[in-house]
Amino acid sequence: MRCRKEGGCLMNGLLNWLDHRTGYRTLMHEALNEPIPGGAKWKYVWGSTLTFVFAVQVITGFFLWSAYSPSTLTAWESVYYIQNVMSYGWLVRGIHHFAAQAMMILLGLHFMQVVIAGAYRAPREVNFWLGLVLMQIVLGLSLTGYLLPWDQKGYYATKVATNIVGVTPVIGPQLQQIAQGGTSYGHHTLTRFFALHAGVFPALLVGFLALHIYVFRRHGITVSKSDETKPAGSFWPDQVLMDAIACLGVLATILFFTVWKGAELTGPADPSEAYSAARPEWYFLFLFRFLKIEEVDKLGLAFGALYVPGAIMGVIALMPFIGHWKLGHRFNIAFTFALLAGASFLTAIALKEDAADKNYQAAVKAAEFEGHRAAELAKEFGIPPTGALSLLKEDARIQGPKLFARHCASCHRYNGHNGLDQVRMKEVEESGHKVKVEEPATAADLGQFGSREWITNVLTNYHSTFEPLKNAGEKGEKFLDGEMAGWVKENAETLKKSENVVSLQSLVEFLVSQGGRKEMQPFDPVLVTAGKEIFKTGKLASGFFTANCSDCHALRLADGSESLGDGAGPGYPTLTGYASRQWLTDFVKNPGHESFYGPERNLMPTFESKLSDKELKHLIDWMVGEYFQSK
Amino acid sequence: MEPSSSFPTDKTAPRRSFLAAAGSIVIGGLITLTPLFSGLAFFMDPLLRRRAPFKGGDADGFLAVTNLSDLPEDGTPLRFVLRADKVDAWNEFKDQSIGTVYLRKLPGNQIVAFNDTCPHLGCKVDYQEASKTFLCPCHASAFQLDGEPMNKIPPRKLDTLESKTDPDGKVWIKYQDFQCGVEKKGAV
Repeated sequence: MRCRKEGGCLMNGLLNWLDHRTGYRTLMHEALNEPIPGGAKWKYVWGSTLTFVFAVQVITGFFLWSAYSPSTLTAWESVYYIQNVMSYGWLVRGIHHFAAQAMMILLGLHFMQVVIAGAYRAPREVNFWLGLVLMQIVLGLSLTGYLLPWDQKGYYATKVATNIVGVTPVIGPQLQQIAQGGTSYGHHTLTRFFALHAGVFPALLVGFLALHIYVFRRHGITVSKSDETKPAGSFWPDQVLMDAIACLGVLATILFFTVWKGAELTGPADPSEAYSAARPEWYFLFLFRFLKIEEVDKLGLAFGALYVPGAIMGVIALMPFIGHWKLGHRFNIAFTFALLAGASFLTAIALKEDAADKNYQAAVKAAEFEGHRAAELAKEFGIPPTGALSLLKEDARIQGPKLFARHCASCHRYNGHNGLDQVRMKEVEESGHKVKVEEPATAADLGQFGSREWITNVLTNYHSTFEPLKNAGEKGEKFLDGEMAGWVKENAETLKKSENVVSLQSLVEFLVSQGGRKEMQPFDPVLVTAGKEIFKTGKLASGFFTANCSDCHALRLADGSESLGDGAGPGYPTLTGYASRQWLTDFVKNPGHESFYGPERNLMPTFESKLSDKELKHLIDWMVGEYFQSK
Repeated sequence: MEPSSSFPTDKTAPRRSFLAAAGSIVIGGLITLTPLFSGLAFFMDPLLRRRAPFKGGDADGFLAVTNLSDLPEDGTPLRFVLRADKVDAWNEFKDQSIGTVYLRKLPGNQIVAFNDTCPHLGCKVDYQEASKTFLCPCHASAFQLDGEPMNKIPPRKLDTLESKTDPDGKVWIKYQDFQCGVEKKGAV
């Protein structure tokens, strides 16, 4: 052959040389010139999209591998680093994360196309089974991959899966321990899952995929009866173009979610902390909900989690034989759609229930917040060798609300909730039925404690501030009827007078300045000085207090320069450093101390022995806003 | 490519086939290269982002090493360990050794600081009391007291570091590592 252009000639020469030595042209021809009776069709694209997404996973997976470190002290940390610090890490991880989910959907579509087309029938039975094996491998990849970030969500979701493995008859516990690398989760759970996820399963997938495609090409595509007689098209280029466009659509969807949502990373896994938002990934949600059905639950975990899914897989595997019978093909299609409908229904119920469950929503939000907080702390302080979890364990912003929920929320509230955005519920009998109702508080809501609003409310609206005490029995009633309550009754009207707006502001400013809390700063010095006089003399712009603050309350200025009063004795709370870290610490330790409520009037338990020094510090630091806050 | 007998034979077919083939190649390339290039960009992270290897220096990055008075008056070099908070990817390790230096005090309290990494291929040089030279145990690079090379093995003299002395007599060093094996001294 003569060639007109120099370059073309060289190119042709090279390709001839290559073909002579490799026979690539025959191979390409074999690969691309598959005849498709009836021509290219959109419904044939699903297998190709699956192969494409797998290639995407291999590519992005390799790069993630280059930055991931599987151990309980480095897994979350390295994923955080990939996601939040490294260049384009969010992009690569996002693609990997959402492509994994796309794969589940495409798997479902491919399966449905195969069943509807009857592609499982002779002589394609073996290829159908190869497909089922591939499906199990993909499920395995998805399960093992979910644990690798070692965040709360992945940790608890995967624990459920390995516990299900543990109820396998006879060999369950052994199987579970082999998977976990021990009796509990640890370094070896991660190294094993990682070896499966990045080594064993991908290798198996490649092998079975090669077989699957080989056998597929042996029998050709399954076309409908009407297409069999039509002239054949070719795989190249018409079907390839359709496949490529479908893959482009899939990739665009993956990128859309990567940019819009991003792969999430909840807080680092914490075996000591219950995770009430534990759910599997959305595509396993139906199984989760299925196990929660009371009748299923009664039959034992092995029944719902192993026998039923096993039986379903068994029926699917038998589809090639069932298809032989008259109506067998219809049964297979009906079975597939019934499964889909059942799974969709259960998923919908699960989503609906979760959407209605405020405490679940709060737990999800808390887990997201912990992830966000851990990342924020890691960025500011770096992660210590003890791991990112220790950052959260030492963080008042995270520990404070938990301690509040555990130790304070049985009486107090924090802006209406228990510190963690959850509402305490209790069961009561109501005309023979057990119903859940909100548990009433028996002490003040401390969400605003020590703020200007709080002090203003105590001075002018005492009864509503401490109203929950009416649920606290006789002592609570006494509190609501005590001297301070009486003082407010006598003076609230005066304080609320429009002439006294500034006077009230001054007194509040003076008191809030005594706490010296950072989050309340800056204090207005003019108001503080004026407030100090009001505290001492009780003289307002219009009128006088019936009794001065200093008549009852002790108060020594923060710098120790002046004492405004020594208090009226035990049970009149000192206002020295009111609502400061120190005041609150002393108060929580022993509220019945003479310089607070005194043993007679106090209702609150003593926490000196109930909380460790560290716990107390975290609780108080959170209440007074003493923790790292990003700008 | 050999023509396939099963191809449609109408006249628009070749043109349509060409468009389909071109479209396949363009889209196929695009969808494969997107994850690949994303991954490669991610892999280039070390080149795309500069990170300080340690935290804890003063505003200019100097670390306090020793007191002026602790250095011998005769200019004999002494080796010191520099300590700071080491940053390694996501981890921060408190108070670690981040490098070693040789310090010499010259007349007039002038300080000469050498990074003790051999500029040849990065082994640590040792000061030899007997010959008053710095010797590298790996490929026998040798340097005079002033850091000038004594043979052809190293590509340049020992790397000096910036130093300063504060009013309290403390010696501060700005620790840096330099590219090995090249003639020009360049911080990495």
